[in-house]
Amino acid sequence: MTTGPLPLQPKISTSTLSVLYGAKAAVKNVSLDIPANKVTAFIGPSGCGKSTFLRSFNRMNDLIEGAHIEGSVRIDGVDIYDRGIDVVELRKRVGMIFQRSNPFPKSIYDNIAYGPRVNGIRDRKRLDEIVESALRRSAIWDEVKDDLGKSALALSGGQQQRLCIARALAVDPSVLLMDEPASALDPTATGKIEELIYELKDRYTIVIVTHNMQQAARVSDLTAFFYLGELVEFDETRKIFTAPSHRQTEEYITGRFG
Amino acid sequence: MERHFEQDLAELRADIVRMGHLVDEQLAGACRALFSGDTSLAAHVIARDTEVDRYDTLIEERCQKYFALTAPVATDLRLLMAALMIDTQLERMGDIAVNIAERVAPLAAHQKVLGGTRIEEMTSAALTMVRESLDSFIRGDAGLARRVVEADALVDEIDRELLGRVIGLMEHDIALVTPGVHILLLSRHIERLADHATNVAEDVIFLVEARVVKHALRGGDTASL
Repeated sequence: MTTGPLPLQPKISTSTLSVLYGAKAAVKNVSLDIPANKVTAFIGPSGCGKSTFLRSFNRMNDLIEGAHIEGSVRIDGVDIYDRGIDVVELRKRVGMIFQRSNPFPKSIYDNIAYGPRVNGIRDRKRLDEIVESALRRSAIWDEVKDDLGKSALALSGGQQQRLCIARALAVDPSVLLMDEPASALDPTATGKIEELIYELKDRYTIVIVTHNMQQAARVSDLTAFFYLGELVEFDETRKIFTAPSHRQTEEYITGRFG
Repeated sequence: MERHFEQDLAELRADIVRMGHLVDEQLAGACRALFSGDTSLAAHVIARDTEVDRYDTLIEERCQKYFALTAPVATDLRLLMAALMIDTQLERMGDIAVNIAERVAPLAAHQKVLGGTRIEEMTSAALTMVRESLDSFIRGDAGLARRVVEADALVDEIDRELLGRVIGLMEHDIALVTPGVHILLLSRHIERLADHATNVAEDVIFLVEARVVKHALRGGDTASL
């Protein structure tokens, strides 16, 4: 595995992390430091372990029966698999956006206010502020501000995905995990999501899994290439897409793979 | 897995090689005409420059298409970039062949003056650089490309020496001013030709090693090679 220069203080740090489903390892012995306020992309063929690896950052794999990990994942230096960790609290700090947008069957407003309300915020003025701020940061405010009572399910696919990003932002996370966030969207909606990712990286650490190589190239600062559960190469995106160090990476990104 | 894009890239490479051979022939023809005073050969070289220009357009169009349609990365990206850069150098070398051919008539009656300078040695060194830069592209040989870059120093050295010598000839005999000026212009063309060969060699190093060396290696500084 090859890694380029990285800062001393990673936001997320895995050490010899393996994720196993029963006896089968989907992620094998991966040590990786993800810097804060950067966009890091995971690429690799289907089944290479990139999504499993991503989901280990907010313990989504805990929900899968038989899944367990070896090694460690630290966020801001804290081992998130430690016994004392409150997983609900962890998932507030580490938000997740999925391939298919999954708004609640509620109004736009209530979708965004849901998390803050669960956290005990009842003051309407405060909720209004949070909703507006989250929608603005997700670049959808102008499109929905006059219709906050409308069902979120009435929005277009691209709008729903930005709404889901707004919903994740409303609970004030520091990390956003995105698993193929634009693969179900048309090019215009994809472009908006990519612009949004670029805007958000000043405030959040973003990790994105994508099958779209050009998307990885466009939006990310760093790229990690996975193959058969192993991390093959991790470096600046510019380097990965112009002069990768590993033959496997080169073959994958140029489409010579397999 | 064999990609159909592979055939496109192979065709692009072949076009560059074909253009390179044509330019090499043009330069060799222009130089042969120069040192033999063969004005009809010079005219042939001048007329044939349109073929070089056609390759230039063809390669540019191919590259534009591949950039737009394939979003190339890594080695594919470097090959397309190198193809565009080398194409530009070859097109300019073709223009230099024309420039040399245009000096044939004015210098036809001054073969003795020509022979009294190191212009033939300079030309031979520059033509060798052109051929070896093309060979380095064909073979993907960064070592040979580096030797081409190093060879530019000899051409520059002859150029400087030649300037002093021709000025001396012109000061000594006013009848030599006209051929002298043509020889100085000629040496400028040859010196530029060697520079273009150097550029091609640097593009080959970029293609093979993914390193941009063109500014690091200028001025005969080969320490960082």
